[in-house]
This record gives sequence, C-alpha cells and structure tokens, in this order.
Amino acid sequence: MRKQYGALVVGAGIGGIRAALDLAVTGHKVALIDRRPTHGGILSQLDHQFPSDHCGMCKMLPLMSRDSSSQFCLRKGLFHDNIDIMLSTEVAELEGEPGKFFVSLSTKSPLIDPTKCVSCGKCAEVCPVRVPSEFNAGLTERTAVYLPVPHAIPNHYVLDLDNCQRCWKCHDACPTGAIDLKFNERVDFHILVVDRDPAVETMLKDILNELNFPLHCVQTGQAAVDMLASDDRIRLVLVGMNINDMDAERVLTRSLELNADIPVVVMAETSQISTAAAMVTQGAREYLVKPLEAKRFVPWLDKLYMRIMSDTTEDLEVGAVVLAGGFECYNPVVDPEGGEDIWSYGHPGVLTAVEFERLLSGTGPTGGRLLHPGDNSEVRKIAWIQCVGSRDVKKNADFCSGICCMFSIKEAVLAKKATNGAVETTIFYMDMRTSGKGYQRYRNKAEHEKGVRLVRSRPHSVIPVNDGMDLKVEYMTDAGELVSETYDMVVLAAGARPPGGMEKFALTMGLDLNEWGFAQMQPYASERTSRLGVFAAGSFGEPRDISESVIQASAAAQAASRIIKVYDVLAGIESEPEPEYPDVSREPPRILVAVCTSCPTLEQTVDLEALSRKMSAVHSVCKVISVGATCTGEGWAEIEKGAAEFKPNRVLIGACMPYAYIPRLKELGRSIGLNPALMDVVDIYTPTFVLESEGQAEKEVFAALSMAVARLQGADPVPVPVTVDVARSALVVGGGLAGMTASMAIADQGYGVCLVESEEELGGMAMRLHTQLDGSDPHKFMEELIGQVEKHPNIKVLKDSRVAISRGSAGRFRSAIAGPQGVFPLEHGVSILATGGHETKVYESGLCVHKSVMTHLALEEQLATGVLDAGALTGVAMIQCWRSRDEDRTYCSRVCCPEMLKNVLTLKKRNPDLPIYVFYRDIMVQGFMETYYTQARKAGAIFIHYEPDNKPKVAFEDGKPVITALDPVLNAEVEIRADILSLSSGLEPNDVEDLLEVFGVEVNEDGFYQEADFKWRPVDFLKQGIYMCGAAHSPRRMDETVASAKAAAQRALRILSTEKIARETVVASVRHSLCSLCQACVAACPYGARVVDLEEGKIIVDEILCQGCGACAAVCPNSATILKGFHDGPMMSVIDAALEQPA
Amino acid sequence: MATTVKIQVDGNNPVLALQGFLKGLLDDESIGGILVPVHLFEKGLPMPTLVTDSAKLSGADPLAPAFSMNSAKLLARLTRGQSGERIAAVLRPCEIRAFVELVKLNQGSLDDVVIVGVDCMGAYDNLSYKTFLGDADSFQATLDFHGLIGGEADTVRNGVDIASACQSCEHPAPQNADVVIGIAGAHLHESIPVMATSARGEALLSGLNLPDIESANGRDKTLESLIAARIVNRDAMLEKTKALTGTLTDLSEYLSACVNCYNCRVACPVCYCKECVFNTDVFEHKPWQYMEWAKRKGSLKMPTDTIFYHLTRMAHMSTACVGCGQCSNACPNGIPVMELFRTVAARTQESFDYEPGRSLDESPPLSVFKEDEFQETVSHMA
Repeated sequence: MRKQYGALVVGAGIGGIRAALDLAVTGHKVALIDRRPTHGGILSQLDHQFPSDHCGMCKMLPLMSRDSSSQFCLRKGLFHDNIDIMLSTEVAELEGEPGKFFVSLSTKSPLIDPTKCVSCGKCAEVCPVRVPSEFNAGLTERTAVYLPVPHAIPNHYVLDLDNCQRCWKCHDACPTGAIDLKFNERVDFHILVVDRDPAVETMLKDILNELNFPLHCVQTGQAAVDMLASDDRIRLVLVGMNINDMDAERVLTRSLELNADIPVVVMAETSQISTAAAMVTQGAREYLVKPLEAKRFVPWLDKLYMRIMSDTTEDLEVGAVVLAGGFECYNPVVDPEGGEDIWSYGHPGVLTAVEFERLLSGTGPTGGRLLHPGDNSEVRKIAWIQCVGSRDVKKNADFCSGICCMFSIKEAVLAKKATNGAVETTIFYMDMRTSGKGYQRYRNKAEHEKGVRLVRSRPHSVIPVNDGMDLKVEYMTDAGELVSETYDMVVLAAGARPPGGMEKFALTMGLDLNEWGFAQMQPYASERTSRLGVFAAGSFGEPRDISESVIQASAAAQAASRIIKVYDVLAGIESEPEPEYPDVSREPPRILVAVCTSCPTLEQTVDLEALSRKMSAVHSVCKVISVGATCTGEGWAEIEKGAAEFKPNRVLIGACMPYAYIPRLKELGRSIGLNPALMDVVDIYTPTFVLESEGQAEKEVFAALSMAVARLQGADPVPVPVTVDVARSALVVGGGLAGMTASMAIADQGYGVCLVESEEELGGMAMRLHTQLDGSDPHKFMEELIGQVEKHPNIKVLKDSRVAISRGSAGRFRSAIAGPQGVFPLEHGVSILATGGHETKVYESGLCVHKSVMTHLALEEQLATGVLDAGALTGVAMIQCWRSRDEDRTYCSRVCCPEMLKNVLTLKKRNPDLPIYVFYRDIMVQGFMETYYTQARKAGAIFIHYEPDNKPKVAFEDGKPVITALDPVLNAEVEIRADILSLSSGLEPNDVEDLLEVFGVEVNEDGFYQEADFKWRPVDFLKQGIYMCGAAHSPRRMDETVASAKAAAQRALRILSTEKIARETVVASVRHSLCSLCQACVAACPYGARVVDLEEGKIIVDEILCQGCGACAAVCPNSATILKGFHDGPMMSVIDAALEQPA
Repeated sequence: MATTVKIQVDGNNPVLALQGFLKGLLDDESIGGILVPVHLFEKGLPMPTLVTDSAKLSGADPLAPAFSMNSAKLLARLTRGQSGERIAAVLRPCEIRAFVELVKLNQGSLDDVVIVGVDCMGAYDNLSYKTFLGDADSFQATLDFHGLIGGEADTVRNGVDIASACQSCEHPAPQNADVVIGIAGAHLHESIPVMATSARGEALLSGLNLPDIESANGRDKTLESLIAARIVNRDAMLEKTKALTGTLTDLSEYLSACVNCYNCRVACPVCYCKECVFNTDVFEHKPWQYMEWAKRKGSLKMPTDTIFYHLTRMAHMSTACVGCGQCSNACPNGIPVMELFRTVAARTQESFDYEPGRSLDESPPLSVFKEDEFQETVSHMA
C-alpha cells in the first residue's frame, strides 16, 4: 500500500522547510524531499543574512508543540513528528488529481548505510579522489566519499559514485561495515545481452568474467524476450540496435511488458544516437555508444550495478504538492550564446557572490578570513558587479533576480567588518533595488556609515592586468568619461536561474514554464502553478529574497492545506493520546545504564569491563548492562528486558548518534511505563575516533556517561500541562484585499471569522486599480472576492466598525467591536491585522492646484475611464520617488515603478508617438516585471536619472508644467514641456495609533507593523496569536499582498487547528520568594514572554510565549528564575561530572 | 552657574551648623523626613536614622568619621514603591554611587528623594571608631577629627587610621547628588559652602534663603591633592592584592579564614538579591556528593563552596562595586575582602569602561552585553 501524506514538499531549502513546518504544525503529515544529500538549500552555505548580518533560521522553529520537534539549529537538522525527510530523492512520476496524487519517488542511495555510519571519517582519509567541493562553491576540494556539509545532524558520509575511482579503499577502511558495495550479490546479477556482433559478446565475456556477473548472450530479439520470460534472474538487459528479427524498440517494449522494473540499456552506433535517445524517453535506462571500450565500460557497468542494487523507489499518495526547488545561480563560465567570458571568471580573483560568501565563512576555505584565493594575500580592493546574468535580454534573462543588490551590499559590509574597515569596497550597479522593508536604510547605512562606495555604471568587462596580479575594471561615468580602476578581487553578482533540469521536472510534474524557464504562476495567486493542487513555495515561482520566500512558502502551505481540507485527505489521523506515566519524583533515582557494544571501535579503545565497574560505582546507578546493538530490534529488546528486571526509574543509553534514538525513547517509555523525559542517550563513540593520549577515550566515555547520570538524577518530573481552551475563530481587522484573503483562507478551513472594516464598503486601496501589467483585471477580481466574502457562511462582516478593546492571549482573546449597531463582544483565538495603507497626500509640484498635475493612480483612473484622451496629448512627464526614499520616508514604496510602467505602456499603446519622459532615481521592478521596463524603453519612453540632491524642478506656464532637470546622459539641463505631469506619490501605512494600544503591538519607524523577525517570522507579531499582512506590513503589490494574507492565515491556523494549547516541557518559571524584581529577565527575554505585574509585585511568565531559551535564567543572579529541567543544582552536578577523573 | 550658598558656622561648631541646615530642610514643606547618621546614645556608633521631627536632629552628626553601614540599601527600602512623601538623604559619595546602581536595578527610586551629598574625608571601621573615640564625647571627637579646614587634618588618632577603603578612595566628592555640602577646603569654623547640583537641589536651596557666595573657595584644590594621595594608595593596594591572589591556590589561602558567614554579602550595598543563591536549595548538596568529592582528593574542607561563593559574588557585582569597604568592615575574621573585590572590580570596570554610580544612563554592562563585543575576551568561547 502506498504511504499516505497530506502533502509532498519538493525541495528542502528554507521555502520547503517553512512550507513543511507550516503544514506539520497544523497536523498534516508531510513528505519533504530534496535531490541533494542535505537539507537547507543555498542557506546551508550562507552564514550571514542582513539586516542583522547573522543567521537566525532557528526562528522558524515551531513556537508551540515544541516537544514534537527538535529545538536546535535548523541548518543542522530538522526533526518533526509529522515530517519525513527523504534526501537524494527526486520525483519520478506524478499522477492523479488534487486530493489524491500518486507520486513515485526515486532515491539515490548514498551507498553508505546511515544506520551504521558513525561519521568517523576514516573512509575520506583513504579516498584518493579530489573534486571541487559543492559546499565551498568550488573553493576547496573534497573526496569522492565525503560529508556534504560539515554541520548536519545526523551527519553521514555519502559516496559520490560519479566521481568514484572504484579503488574500494573506503570499503576496507570503514570500521563498522557501513559501506556496502554489494560485492557478494554480483553472482546473482544476471545480465542479458542481445547483439548480433560476436565481438561484443567476446569482449563482454572477457570483462564480465573479471567482475563476476553471470552473462547470457543471445543474437535475436525473440531469444531475448523468451529468456526474459523464462528466467526471472535477469536483472539487466543490454540491447544492441543491430538485431535482425525485431527492432530494438520492440525488444525494449516487450522487456518492459514482461518486467516493468527491468533496466534496459541500448548499445547504439554513433549514427543511431537519435533513435537511442528516443528509446530513453520510452523507458530505456540509458544508451551507450559503440564501440564499447573496457576502460570506460567496466566502471560504467560496475556503477550501474551498484545504482540498480542500492537505489530505491517509493510510492506515495498525497493530497497536495508544494514545489520549493529554489533557483540556481547563473554560472558566468557558461555563456548561453557561446560568447566570450568577459568577466575573466577563470581568474582566481574573480568570484561569484556565493563563492565570496564561502570565503567569509568560518567553515570556508580560509576559516572566515578575507584572503585572496590565488595566493592567500590580504585583499585590499574589491569590486562588486551587479546584474551578471540578470537584466540581460541577450542571455534570455529579461528579469531581475531581485536578491543580488542586497546580497552585494551585505557582502561589502561583511568585508568591511572582516577587515576592520580596511578593505575598499565598490559596487557597480544599474539600479540599486532596495525596495524591501528596511532595505533603503540598510543601503544608506552601508554607504554613509560603513563607507561602501556605490557607482552607477556597468563595467563592460573584467581584464587581468599586471601579470594577472590585478583586475582592471573600466566604466563610463555620468559625464561620459571612461574610468579605469584596478582591484584585487571582483565579485560577480550572478543572478538567479531556474533550477537545473527544470524542463524535465516540468514535464514530470505537468507544469507550464514561463519564457525564462521558471514555473508559470497565476495572477493574484502567486503560489499557484498551472497544475491544480501543485503549488510553489519560496523562490520557485520567481526569484525572491528570504522574507518574501518565507511568506510565499506559508502561502503555498495555506493553499495546500486548503486542498487537503477540501478533499478530506487522511481524514482523522488520530494522534495517539499521551500515556500517563507513574510519578517517580519521590523515589530515590535508580538508573539503568545500557552500553551499546555493537561497533568494534569501542571495544578496541576502551576496557568495557572496567568502564562498567566504574559506572556501577556512580551514585544512583542500579545496573550497567552491555547490549549487543541497540540500533537493532534485538538490542532494544535487551534494554526492555533489563528495565523489566531491574525496575529503574531512569534509563541511560550509551551509543552512537543519540538523535536517532529520540523518537524511540517514546516507544520505550510506553513499553516500560516510564516517562521519556527520564531517559537519555549519549554518544560514547565519538571519543574513540581520535586518540591523543593513552586512556583519554576511557576518560571521555566515562565523563559522557556520568554527566548524563548527573543530569538524569536531577531530571524534573514533567509538570501537569497548563492548557488554554482555544476559541476557534479569528478576528480580522481590515476589509481590503489582505483582510479578505486572510478571512477566506481561515473560513474555508471551517473556522469562524469576524471581519471588521472601518469604512462603509469592503475593498480598500486595491479598488483604485483598473488594470495590471500582466493584463489581468483587478476590478473583476476584487468584486468577485468581495462577493465571496459577503456570502461566506463562516464570515461575519462588520462594516463601519472598530475594535475598541482586545484582551487575552494566543488561543483566547476577548474583544469588543464598536459599530453602528453598538458594541459587540467577541471571543476569538487569533487576530489578524490587515489595516492597509493609502496613497500619500502630496501638495507639491502643483498637485491639487493645476489640473495638469496628478498622481500615477489618478492618471490610471483617467485613462481607464476615458476622461483623458491619450491621442490628444503632446507630451507627458513623470517623476518617480517624489516623496519616498528621502528624509521623511526612508523606504521604497515598491508600487510606484510598476504603476508608472503601466501608465507608460497604456499611453504608448494608445498614442505610440507620444513623448514620455520619466525622471527616476532607481527603477524598482524586481523579478519578471523587469520585462515591462524593457518594453517601456522599447516603446520609446525616455528615462532620465536624477540624484536626490538635485531633484527635477517644476514650473508652470499657462497651467502646463515645465520640468527642468539635469540629464546625465547629455550632461546638460533639459527643459521638458508636457501636457501632464504624473507624480509617484508613494504609499503610507494607515494610521493605527489606536490599534497599537488595543492589541499591544508595535510599528516600526515608518509606521509599518513590526514583525517578530524580519526574515524568519515575517507575518508574526512578537506577541503570539496576532499576525499581520498586506500594505500595513510593508509596501506590497496585489500578488504580494495576497501571499502575505495567506501566510498570515496559515500561521493563525496553527492555533485554530487545536482544541487546547498545552504547556511545553521546557519553560521558565519564577520563584517569587527569591525574586528581587530587578526586571533584568524582562529585558533579556527575546520573545516578550515576561512582564512585571506592578500590582502583585511579581514577574509573570506567559508560558505559551516562553520558548525555553533560558536567557532569563542566565541573567537572574540568584536563580529566582529557573528553567524546567535545567535547574542550577543538576547543571552543576553535570559540570562536576564532566570534570571528574576516574580514580 | 549653579547656586552656591553658605551655612554660617557659629560657636566654632560646624556640626551644630549642619544640624541647623537640616532643620531648615525639614521645615520645608516638600520634605517629609531626613535620613541621616544620628548618635542615638551617648557612646557608640552613629546609625542611619530616618528623622521626621526636627527636635530629633540634635543627635545628627553627618560629619562623624564613622561608617556603620552603607545606607544605599536602606534608602532603597525607603524609596521602592511610594510613601507619598519626599525625603532627603544625607549620604557619603560611596553611598550615593551604590544607590545609583540599585536604582538601575529597580531596587530603589530617585523620584521622591533629595540626595544631600557630603564631602567625605574618610571614616574608621566600626572597631577602630571605638578606639578613635576613646573616652571623648562623640560630637567633640567629630570636631577634632576635621580640625579647622576640611581635609587638611591628619587622620591617625589613638593609633588608628581611617579604613583602608577610605584611604584608597578616589571619590571624596559626591556625584549625582542634588545638593553638595562642600567640606573639603572649607574653613569649618566660619562657614560651609553648599552647592545645588540639580534642578531639584536648586529649587530646594533657593527656598532656604541662605546667603549666596561666589564659589566654594579652595575646595577644588583640597580635593585634588586628596584624590592624588588616595590614588597612590589605591594603586599600591591593587598591586599588592594582585600579587597575593594571582592563582587559585593563593586565592584559597587569602580567603582561608572565611567561615561562610556571608556577612560581607549582607553588608554589601550592591548585592541586591532578596535571597542569595547560596542560601537556596542549589547548594544543598546530597550527603553522597560530599563523600564523592572527599574521596576524589582524600579530604574536603567543610563548609564547601567558599571560593565559589566569593567568585559568584565577583561575577554578580564586581562591575557595580563602589569600593565602600563595608565587606571588610563586616568580616569577623579580618579578611581584607575589600582589597580583593576592588582589585577584581578595577579590571572588570575598566574592560567595560564602566564606573558604577557615574551616571544613571549607563546600563549595567552585563545587561546590555552584545555577543560581538569584547572579542579579545570572548572569542575563545565562539
């Protein structure tokens, strides 16, 4: 039977992880796959993310039901009860329909048994192969048997068969026999060869004799088919294309009919390659070109054999599919047009952005020091060149990768930091696209405080000079001068490309691709692909930065969970009730210690009997038993037997890879009736790998075990969980696009929604839009949405109303809503604030005075309603960033550039000869919107750049605007006379002063809601149970608003999907009798989970907000604050045990 | 320019003049009480006393070279929460500095208190004060101690000198007070200058109708030479202590007379915990643990955790240590605790460029510590 899951998530980068976690925490089973041998995607390589310039991925971990997932660095590992991770795995087939997809997955075996590999590294030590390391972006080398990333948990070696020389030294070196190359099974691997050429038979017999494969040679297709039918030992068919009685295709078809899984390999002459390739699409595994040479054939066959024997396939049934395959970085070597390598990428001083990031990483080639990869010298001058492989029509990249501008600014800042400001940094750019929340501030800080130099110009090439010591970069200044500068390092901001193999993948998944090879997404639903039930998370649909990828992932999870809900997939997977464990808190501790002796490395280095004797002498250890192999069923049974016999109230297991046992401790708990919190597993194998001195391993193993004993002695009996009964409905504030989308998403899951709108009608700001760049009709969309919302049985719409008060905490809020019918009380489990924004009021440049001056939105309206006749115009001028990105508002409003392009294209369509002049600072059109900028320029609109300190001046003659500005291309003042001046006025969040107090939330300096974490929790407020979306969160276009609303709804569903919220095992509490109320803990708490109750004179901990990080306990001087399970006493005993030397 | 007024001294008795000044304060409607050292009995130490009846000020002796305890903690009790009335507190510089630290930790409040700082010429520890006093009258002894000009008299009397903490104290002048009584350099038998050093002090002084003077002549110079001498003492003391406590073994020997009475902690003005962790269950070890520890080395000193106790206190409060010396004053076994703590504090305070009591705006360093700070100190922990 097929294994069933709610959803399949393809790609385990941050997009996939976020989507998987979002689904998992709402109770859905998720299969998370990645074709790479590790999870984490590109972020496993990146250590620093702006604006904090730190990592912070751990902030994505579930905040509730923390016990169901491991709580540590997400770059290292991801464990959740509801998520099964399958690595080195790809989708082979996808059939079926939404709610019931049949998926078949094929998994490449790492050829090293992860249950046996103890990560000792002996295999890599003997491996003779050296190939560029993917993890270090080619800056270092790795062996063929290697650790894909240095930090993963579990971290097992994998064998890269493609680069393996088949010396088998690793097999001999492995102390645990984890490397299985299937030597013994060869004699049972029968190969059928169908070929008329006797030379082939002779050669194969020669070779295969050596390899021990039984060989069967026939000359006709019929003989082959007969043999296949009668002999079920055949495991591989090699078919030549020269047989007479039937053609090779027929042999292939018949073979597959007889045995659907049999691998068939075609042997073709050079002239037959195209036919052979066609056979591969019909089901052949691959084709070989004759003549076969032993030198190449033998390794090929050997590796094919190992693949066939080791690789596995698995069939699943899933409700929905989420694609999170991310993107690939443009490779500057491969010019798709076969052009010259203008960037001198082969030079050691020319790096891509990812390579540079590795150079700055502590796990990179230089340990984080900024040294030149050519000669390890200090780097003094670095240039970044933007838009390499992006915004380049010639390279089929008429799109903006959207991430590189911030990426490069961050790298320049990091380089400054790494060198204490000594390194000179210059970024060459076309438009500095800082249109995200806080991006413009980050740029300003980099430029004005950190001394990063920004040059608006595109160098044409990078040329090594001075015997290759320096790199020459030439560029044109605004004044038209050619400037030549030399650098010792150049970083290419290589843009995003569709992930490798996208075309084949699209074929498998049944997806449409857009003209640049990315998945084609749907308007107003940027998580929807062309196939129903298949969604895109992260940056799969369009290149995106981290926070937008995370939002997109949550939106995709929301869409997937809607499908799962609608089709009732896996209805009623009941979670097993937590068993009741006996209270052992009053008994003196009795600890059973089980030492796993399965691997020989322990026995060789440690005197097990002496160890056992010493451990028995440790206080409260009641028995030490040796177990053959705890990782096997038999070994586990021995532990259960030991527990039954000695009746311990604590169990300690010494083995390898403790994390592998964590889920099994729960089972052990059930079978022996002991709370798993009173059990522990410690690693006693790692100390045996590196031996520095005699007896050191013994000491370390003993210390590891006795530390765990000390910890278990003081283990807390688990407290009675405090639970909140969840009020399973939502309050949504704001009835615009964001609020309505969020309401629909929650209501469709069967929960009640109260939607409060302060205006008399639903719709908000989006109602002012008439057209969209992609040709879709926003009005129609909005009207349909309003209709759906008003008719939805689960949504109660309150117009002309306001939230007057809201009290309580996540799961149960009590609010009062004041409306025309009076005040109405509401109990709800979550709140979503979608209060939107508005066009900024501008009273400059004659706006509101002269009829000829209007905002972009007004122009759109006049064009849409026909008030303005484009044909009658003789000239139009537009000014961008009229108010945004200056001292008043240091952010990009994000919507004005697309709005401007929309008007330009409409005007040009109606009056192609109309002169249009656009004054701009940076054109901010990320992603595929770039193409409209290209179209606008092609249509003849003239774009004139201006600097903020020299803005265009506007005067009026006969009521018509006259704009004077410096044209940097002409390097002269220009005077533009136009009929119409259209201004981008920018977007401001609505005033929410009253709501801040009602909900106890905050806004940032620009008035947008302050999220819990900009990158990793982009739609959460710090206060749990309250979420944000739409333009109140940040300036957003309609698609982005919809995505954020769906993301907020998905986050909210986490709470609504449970009846009760239980307290976690590890939370902090305050011993009030000891507390001096100094409030150091309140300041230290990163989750805002602590407040001081002045009336009671007590520090109050919100146990649902508390994430058990322990920052409070660390700052509290006298242990008035304690963390469950980490009391001072037991912790000191653990330290004591660690320092203890065996007598 | 801050207001400077003078208290006229009649009958060569500056103590009486100051009592008069305090009476004037208490008569002001805005002040409900005054915390000031008072001789409650004819002999013995003047004790910090909250006086609400101006008649009771006749025992007040703000100039007595006695320092029975640091009043910062007492003032914290008086100002934490609301009493509804404003009080004045007559404090030594080190008491003010300790109080500022406590306010930072939310243990007290400056909202309803007027700090009257008095230039400090040093004080004897509690045992020496008795010797210093001998059979003399307490007030007379105070007058003798100060002589004619503040800060000029020799401090050795009857074979005892002021406490070593005071000898090496570089802060004889009050910081962060509202009103400063300028003893240093003053002709004590003529008049004592009083400076307003905050808006609150300004308002208070202007209501007292005392005669203005240009400035406290000679005070700066006296303070300067006083501080110079004390810094020399301090540096010699730090050197000496450093040499004595450089290793764990030396430190153990230094503290070998410690009986874990925790008096130093009780006396410490900036040790603010309600209940010390050393009194909690954390240090209630199991009998078998003692046995195991003893077995490991063959013997175990009881009570245990002596060094750990002192190290913990250093970790908790060395950045806030104002060097008042009350720890040494409280030690029944004559351990030079102040010397040890000031030596450690000198290092920790220097690394954070932190001076306890300097400003309310400077947060306690460990509460604002950022992970990328002090790389030279913490990089090995990464």
